[in-house]
Amino acid sequence: MDRGKTGLGLMCGGAAIGVAALMALTGSLSMEAPARAEAPPRTLPAPPPGGVMGFVVQDFVPPVIQGMDACPKGTSPKVRDIYLASLPADERARLERKENEPELTKRWQATVFGADGTNICSQPDKFDRPLLTTVQSAHAGGLDLDGDAPGESCSHEEFTAPDGRTGIDNQEYRVMGCTLEWRGKDGIGGDLLTGMRQFHASGEWTQVILLRGVDSLENDDDVEVIYANTPDRPQLDSHGNFLPGYSFTISDKPPRHRNALHGHIVGGVLVTDAQDIKLAQTWGQGGARDIRGARTAYDFRHAKLRLAFQPDGSLRGLVGGYRPVFDVIQSPAIGGAGAALAAGIDCAGTLATLRKYADGISDPKTGTCSGVSSAMNLYAVPAFINDVPAPSARIAPAGTAHAGNKTL
Amino acid sequence: MSPFRTVPLGIAAVTLAATLWLAGTASTSAPVHAEANGSPALLTDPQVVGMRRLTEAQYRNSIADIFGSDIRVAGRFEPIVRPAHQLIASGARSAAITPSGLEQFDAMAREIARQVFDENHRAQFTACAPPDPAGADASCAGRTLAPLGRLLFRRPLSEQELALYVRIAGEGAGPTRSFAKGLELALGAMLVSPLFLYVVETAQPDPVRPGVMRLDDNSRAARLSFMLWNSAPNAALLDAAAAGRLTDQPHLAATVRRMVASPRFEQGLRAFFSDMLLFEKFDELAKDPVIYPYFNQDVLQALPEQMLRTITTQLLDGDGDYRELFTTRKTWMNRALGALYRVPVSQSQGWVPYEFTAESDRSGLLGLAGFLAMYSHSGRSSPTLRGRAIRELLLCQPVPNPPGNVNFTAVQDTGNKAMPTARIRLDAHTTDPVCAGCHKITDPIGLPLERFDGIGGFRTFENEAAIDVSGEMDDTRFTGGDGLGKAIAASKDATLCVTSRALEYATGRPSEDGELIERLEGGFAAQGYRLRQLIETIASLPQTYEVPTDSIKAGTTLVATRR
Repeated sequence: MDRGKTGLGLMCGGAAIGVAALMALTGSLSMEAPARAEAPPRTLPAPPPGGVMGFVVQDFVPPVIQGMDACPKGTSPKVRDIYLASLPADERARLERKENEPELTKRWQATVFGADGTNICSQPDKFDRPLLTTVQSAHAGGLDLDGDAPGESCSHEEFTAPDGRTGIDNQEYRVMGCTLEWRGKDGIGGDLLTGMRQFHASGEWTQVILLRGVDSLENDDDVEVIYANTPDRPQLDSHGNFLPGYSFTISDKPPRHRNALHGHIVGGVLVTDAQDIKLAQTWGQGGARDIRGARTAYDFRHAKLRLAFQPDGSLRGLVGGYRPVFDVIQSPAIGGAGAALAAGIDCAGTLATLRKYADGISDPKTGTCSGVSSAMNLYAVPAFINDVPAPSARIAPAGTAHAGNKTL
Repeated sequence: MSPFRTVPLGIAAVTLAATLWLAGTASTSAPVHAEANGSPALLTDPQVVGMRRLTEAQYRNSIADIFGSDIRVAGRFEPIVRPAHQLIASGARSAAITPSGLEQFDAMAREIARQVFDENHRAQFTACAPPDPAGADASCAGRTLAPLGRLLFRRPLSEQELALYVRIAGEGAGPTRSFAKGLELALGAMLVSPLFLYVVETAQPDPVRPGVMRLDDNSRAARLSFMLWNSAPNAALLDAAAAGRLTDQPHLAATVRRMVASPRFEQGLRAFFSDMLLFEKFDELAKDPVIYPYFNQDVLQALPEQMLRTITTQLLDGDGDYRELFTTRKTWMNRALGALYRVPVSQSQGWVPYEFTAESDRSGLLGLAGFLAMYSHSGRSSPTLRGRAIRELLLCQPVPNPPGNVNFTAVQDTGNKAMPTARIRLDAHTTDPVCAGCHKITDPIGLPLERFDGIGGFRTFENEAAIDVSGEMDDTRFTGGDGLGKAIAASKDATLCVTSRALEYATGRPSEDGELIERLEGGFAAQGYRLRQLIETIASLPQTYEVPTDSIKAGTTLVATRR
């Protein structure tokens, strides 16, 4: 982007409308395996006039790489299995008999609870649980987060990405990548993959990306990127894919998550400069009673986007950053004992493992890390995005342009 | 059986019998079971010359205007059958109410009456406070029911009618020990009366032209109000009728002028175009969701509204030329439609003004998805349906139905790579000379819209073959939607057609007076094709209120109640 330009798209009612890359809207948008920032695609079209492009995020999922080499011993044991594994062989064999299932259930469920009504998910700090099985392979999706953040990271082993990029930081995947929820069974993604699609389709978590100042999809050293949430629901086709071409308005009500980033495009891949990114994360829908509608946030520190433009107009790639370790178990922690009893999730063991492998959000005084490197695969389809500037920018003196949109 | 169950329908049947007796038009196929217990007195002196059933919109608008928009109207309305190549306004003149339809009206009437006289609303409508709220009070009931009856029946109640409804109120108040409940029963009876459900038109001799009958003042008030505002006449209009001002030409013209200048005229214009453009077809519009994933309930609801907004913006807001309805690029957009059109919509809720680009090839009403989707099949576009709709709806040129033994194989085979476009498939289909005759009328004006698929989405290729959008109408050749729009805008048939439709809408019958239509169209042209002025002219025209001789001798109203 030429910094002398406003970089704005069509102005309407004070909001800049991101005109999507609609050059290939009529093309098929078949659902594929979780997106990866692969090698630059074949031929990319010219950006739309004005250089404004919009997208709605359809897939926002952990970049699980299927295959036996990641978890050769299978997925991480559930609470029931952990309990059984702690028993002598004879006792384990006795309890595993069908007629003893009620006794086994009673006994393993008892391990979920501690003194004073505590449980391993609501108060994971108060339990000493075995660590999770971790990913053994050398490959993971993700980004090199510490390459340009020296001194902020704790020592850790790095992965290599499927596309050959080295120095990949993804300790969250190392810890969570063998859980049943992430890995699923038989090479099919776990509950998280299907669940995340539903969350994004609901309008509760729906994310949009607005690019301004795009002069070329191949190379551009100055692109403004708005990565935000919208309350507008995507429309789905009969296969559950998001339909391109809808308009979305960035949320103007709290909790408002609108991340203004700066990026550059090299070889058809947009990469943003490291910056904290916050996005909505609502567990359940409806009111704020119990776990329903509990509002939290995706809190990516020192985060980056790496997104490859696709010939069909979509974007595929990743968002990566460091997450506070507790955020990773946010959902089962909100679920409390139910998460452990119904889904067999060992929140305490998970938290302990995450702490062991923490590699980011370093305390400058102690040098201790309290966050894990993390990444999510992104797949976004073209959309029209109405940007809603921050309130301070909206109170512009009469007669001034809304150029403030780009500097929020 | 409690009077609450039997009285309203009984009164409806009695009144209906009386009305039919006076109109001399009772259907022999649908005997009316009613006791002639003094019923002829319900309609006296004026000669009934026609009855037009209220449309659903007219019913709802009447209730909202008389009782307030917070009174909920819930129920199913029996549709009024549209006569071939005519308006529903004409069909209303011969619309029956079946027994199940009457039950629906009865249920709606009871619910409306319950709301009107519930604790939250009764003070607005009760003219007085009875000494005993738990008993009947004929005087107070009369003072309450008379003004309501006047608004509902669009004329003052006769003494006998008022006495009847006061008696019903009294009979209702007794067993329920509630004056309000009695009023509720009486109002329910009024709302299910044919005198409310039908606009009963009465006539008087024209003093200027001996032997000619013309609508009387009360009927003129109703005709004006439903024609221009699509609702019941208000008290001011009924006052004008009572004073005889609506049969006085200068006063009539002044009244019409005020009414078409009112914001409420938009409601009337919407109703007219909904009738002219067959909007009832939207109720049954369905598309294959696999082929057209962008077609959903939100889109379906938005399609007619976008067309109506386009019409009212062009014809009322800008007081624009009717012909520009076929060339304007200005329309309205909401989020659901924005995706179908692939255009940005600047807000998530509601409608925003939008102007298509010159490259869009979307010209006026024919470029809107509502028209394009309506006249397509569930899984493919149809140049023939579109061409026929243009001929019949916009040019008033009826096209014959296809014969029953047509072989549609060629046109339905949309995946055939050897015949990739609709034009090629239609060419193959029309090799049969029996088919070719009609297709020559329709297809050359439907094919220019082939850049729009079965829901109005833009495309330039079909089955990877470029779409040819050349067309022809009345020896004028053109290309695309833009060319078609200009051709229609330039056609005198289009302006003659809307003129005749407006006259039919006003009178409730198609006009066979070609000379009158030509004259009106000439005035329309002289006024720059301003539709507001055309309708004002028609509403002020003495001929609009003239009663055809056949209506006096043997009307066509067929109303049936069968229990």
